Amino acid sequence: MAVEYDPALIGRVFEVTDPVSVTAESIGKFCTAIGETNPLYTDAAAAKRGPYGGIVAPPSFAVTFRNGRHFFTHVPRFGRAGFDAGKDVEFRAPIRPGDKITLSSHVKEIYEKTGRSGSMVFVVVRSTVQNQNGEAVAHIDHRFMNRP
Amino acid sequence: MPTILDLHSHSEASEDSRAPLEAYLNWIKLRRHERPVDGIVLTEHRQFNGAADYRALEDKFGLMVLKASEVETDYGHVLVFGVTEEMTRRFDFANVRLNAQELIDEIARMGGVAVPCHPGRPTVGLYEHYAAKPPLENVVAVEVLNGGSRKGEDDRSMELVRKYGYRAIGGSDSHLVSLIALCATRFAADVRSIDDLVRELREGSYEPVDFRPRRKPVPAAVPEEVRHNGG
Repeated sequence: MAVEYDPALIGRVFEVTDPVSVTAESIGKFCTAIGETNPLYTDAAAAKRGPYGGIVAPPSFAVTFRNGRHFFTHVPRFGRAGFDAGKDVEFRAPIRPGDKITLSSHVKEIYEKTGRSGSMVFVVVRSTVQNQNGEAVAHIDHRFMNRP
Repeated sequence: MPTILDLHSHSEASEDSRAPLEAYLNWIKLRRHERPVDGIVLTEHRQFNGAADYRALEDKFGLMVLKASEVETDYGHVLVFGVTEEMTRRFDFANVRLNAQELIDEIARMGGVAVPCHPGRPTVGLYEHYAAKPPLENVVAVEVLNGGSRKGEDDRSMELVRKYGYRAIGGSDSHLVSLIALCATRFAADVRSIDDLVRELREGSYEPVDFRPRRKPVPAAVPEEVRHNGG
């Protein structure tokens, strides 16, 4: 018998954020902030000759989009305490100026494990970063640890 | 011909590992002089992928890849070698509260072998459980060298070996590429399959081997001769 939860939770989308427009300026500001100088992201003329035919955002730009205000109220909790146990990000397609980005979130997985410090229940929430064409440009798996 | 295998490793199929199998094998290939293993055993957490086929990677790198599982019990974590469909039907590998005695006995009856791992580790090792509960019966071996052990944990594992007469294995418990094959097990016999491995763990001759680099002693802040002279 593993940890008990309502299996209907798994896979059910609980939040879709409003679209956020991507501009060349917002990509440029992000590049400046992280010290990115690759011309594929920063130089329109060079990027036009590159593999994407124009400026694209650096992959890590995908994690700048915020979840909705009520995101955390939908994250199942187990026991008395917990913390953010990290994120896995899978980059699937470039984000371009003109894209309108939404985040669609669902509980991907709940599992229990034991370690030196005792029992832990992990909740993995997947946020799919999508463009206006419904194309998934990235998956962000948020991992939360709970102490039952 | 003797065979050396890392009996405990986790690829990215385990939720807490980021190590691709191919990267493990490539790392070993580049460091065979330091970690002379003939192969590894993938012991993914709480699961067993019977369908996974690693023959192409085995051929590419000239290394053996065997499959097992690490499950969780009321006496801590246990490596299960020789997993069959019958075993995965009998036990829910995702259950973190499996009955250890039942697991050991049933796995043996079904043709495998269950080996408690990192027994000196707090909470998830035999040592701590033996302080509060009767010792398990029919334990063939325990893992006394674990690449993830903290100070004193392997020593506690050795205490169990001495006290209960268990046989001893070693494994890296690697979750990161660079840690693969730091600890392993040397078998006197040729091991070429999971059936060979189970047979040897039950009846063969083997010992844990440690390939972890020795730390160089830290030089004293005050030179020896100065200290002796009362300086």
